[in-house]
Amino acid sequence: MKKFLAILVCKFGRAVGKLVGKGSSMPGKFALKICPDILARVRLPQHVIAVTGSNGKTSTVEMIAAILRAGGKTVVYNEEGSNQIEGVTTTVLTHASLTGAVRADVLLIESDERYAAQSFRYFHPTEFVITNLYRDQLTRNGHPEWVYDAILPAIHPETELILNADDPLSSCFARGHEKVKWFGLDRCPSDTDAPTGAYRDGAYCPVCRAPMEYDYVHYNHIGAFRCTKCGHRKPATDYTATALDLERGTLTIDGSVTIQLAFRSIYNVYNVLAAYAACRECGVASDTAAGVINNYILKNGRMQKFTLGAHRGMLLTSKHENSIAYDTNLRYIRAAQDPCTVLVIVDAVSRKYFTSETSWLWDIDFNQLNAPQVQRVILSGRYCNDLAERFSFTDIPWEKVTVQPDIPAAAAELKAAGSEDLYVVTCFSDRDKILSQVVKEA
Amino acid sequence: MELKIIHFYPDLMSLYGSYANVSVLRRYLEALGCTVTVQPVRPGEGADIAGADFLFMGAGTERAQRFAAGDFVQYGPAVKALAEDGCAMLFAGTAMELLGASVTDKDGETYSGIGLAAFTTVQGSRRIVGDVYGSTDLYPEPVVGFMNKCGETHGVETPLLTGLTMGFGNEAEKGPEGFHWKNVFASELTGPLLVKNPRLLEAVAAAICARRGIPLPEERPAFPYAEAGYAITAEQLKLRAEAKQ
Repeated sequence: MKKFLAILVCKFGRAVGKLVGKGSSMPGKFALKICPDILARVRLPQHVIAVTGSNGKTSTVEMIAAILRAGGKTVVYNEEGSNQIEGVTTTVLTHASLTGAVRADVLLIESDERYAAQSFRYFHPTEFVITNLYRDQLTRNGHPEWVYDAILPAIHPETELILNADDPLSSCFARGHEKVKWFGLDRCPSDTDAPTGAYRDGAYCPVCRAPMEYDYVHYNHIGAFRCTKCGHRKPATDYTATALDLERGTLTIDGSVTIQLAFRSIYNVYNVLAAYAACRECGVASDTAAGVINNYILKNGRMQKFTLGAHRGMLLTSKHENSIAYDTNLRYIRAAQDPCTVLVIVDAVSRKYFTSETSWLWDIDFNQLNAPQVQRVILSGRYCNDLAERFSFTDIPWEKVTVQPDIPAAAAELKAAGSEDLYVVTCFSDRDKILSQVVKEA
Repeated sequence: MELKIIHFYPDLMSLYGSYANVSVLRRYLEALGCTVTVQPVRPGEGADIAGADFLFMGAGTERAQRFAAGDFVQYGPAVKALAEDGCAMLFAGTAMELLGASVTDKDGETYSGIGLAAFTTVQGSRRIVGDVYGSTDLYPEPVVGFMNKCGETHGVETPLLTGLTMGFGNEAEKGPEGFHWKNVFASELTGPLLVKNPRLLEAVAAAICARRGIPLPEERPAFPYAEAGYAITAEQLKLRAEAKQ
């Protein structure tokens, strides 16, 4: 009876919520109040895929859903990104019959890494994709090992883990776990010999703290790692990017599946690989998966083209407090050929209040902007002084740097003069402050 | 004048942009006309730290911290001798805990610090995070920073921040924070503490210079972006602190 009521309340709450445009976690919250173990009482589909990790969750989940649907499967997932237990409950119950059967072939869940253990207390994923564990939102997450410890209890012995073979930390989830599939990237032309970035999270083995070595590095501390002491190393991969040419935008998986990348970024390659691996594990044919991924354009709007005066611009959404997300986009700019200006905006670190937590600025490798095609760097927003202080410790010639606290003023100055390409690097929380000043391209 | 900075475990104890403390200190000392060398010390390598003008260790994960403690114990007598002699040092984040008598981790296992002070730290499974706005006896301006730790430190007799109007201190909400004795500065305020607090940077630099007889100019080196950033942060945190009262 409690189950029936919880489902009914949740469905009703969701319908009302949609009408008034409210978020999707409230109905689940009510349902959990009525029946705390409701998630243990529903009948789940054959496959329950969960995706967690620091970076790439939303992109990976979106691609998995698209591939599965192309493979003829019905998929239910928390599309609106409410990825804590309440949001997961809403998703599950909204798509359940009143007797509690989830009407889909696959339940797909993007899970907040810190709350995964709570979400999976009453049921467990059949496949659990962990994309990576990086420094991310340390104000709430503490540090990557803290997040690791938080995810660990969410892993059920029967769950098949789908792990990133190139990440020294998240690969530790395989220790003592039987069912593991690995995805990873072989050596490729854009690799470096040693880790890059402002800090060295790959310097020491996460298992025994002995120094680590790398055969090759794809970016930051992601690559073919090898502990000099305990044997922790990049494992053999089950789903492998065997060839990658970022300049041409071609990716080959397992030596046979060739894909054209709409977004030529190595980070995108990992999302593609993770999605490919998860879908293959659910029985989707490789050519079906490849057909979807080929020229796949993510719908989550992380990149937005626009014009500002005579400038052709691109917004590269980077999460504040996530140095690898920033490094990703700075690397993209560094690879650009044409002369450009880069506008970096940090106006609100927290959406709720002013915080002094700016340590993540020091973790970003802004030195990547010390490139000949980068003619000018404009630092804007409330934290422009903190940015300027950080930039004064890069090798970028100071005559290239302008500090303009006011975002509309920075936009107006750009609009008035010049026609070089413009890259804007900022967070979700700040991007509308510049997008309101430009003409967006569809 | 040549000055030597010892940076303990720069790749192991490297959370929250800790290294930036060394960057701004070096820039400040160079602006005073000093030549500065930074010597990194890595675990297992051993190093002669006698003759140092400044010691630094930054924040690490609790597992990295424990590993660092095992290596750092060999430097205990030398660090204590330098401290006694008035050498300046900064231990930021979890590194502060290693100056004390012991650290108990969240699994309940206890290991030793170097015992420069008698305080003890007990770590738990709760993360203590939040902005801090407080005062120090070193200078009149407020201290700003961010706390991100899982331990409570008991038995500090001489804190660095003598009072907080916002944030969690060594062992209590709004309690005193950090540790200060002679020229030993320690605080769990994470990350680039000296970047965020230009006055604290001056105090540390002055301590280094005093010990080596380097005269400080009437007009101190000034870094306008650091000052402007600090002014905004101090103003905003003050508003938040007042709104909470």
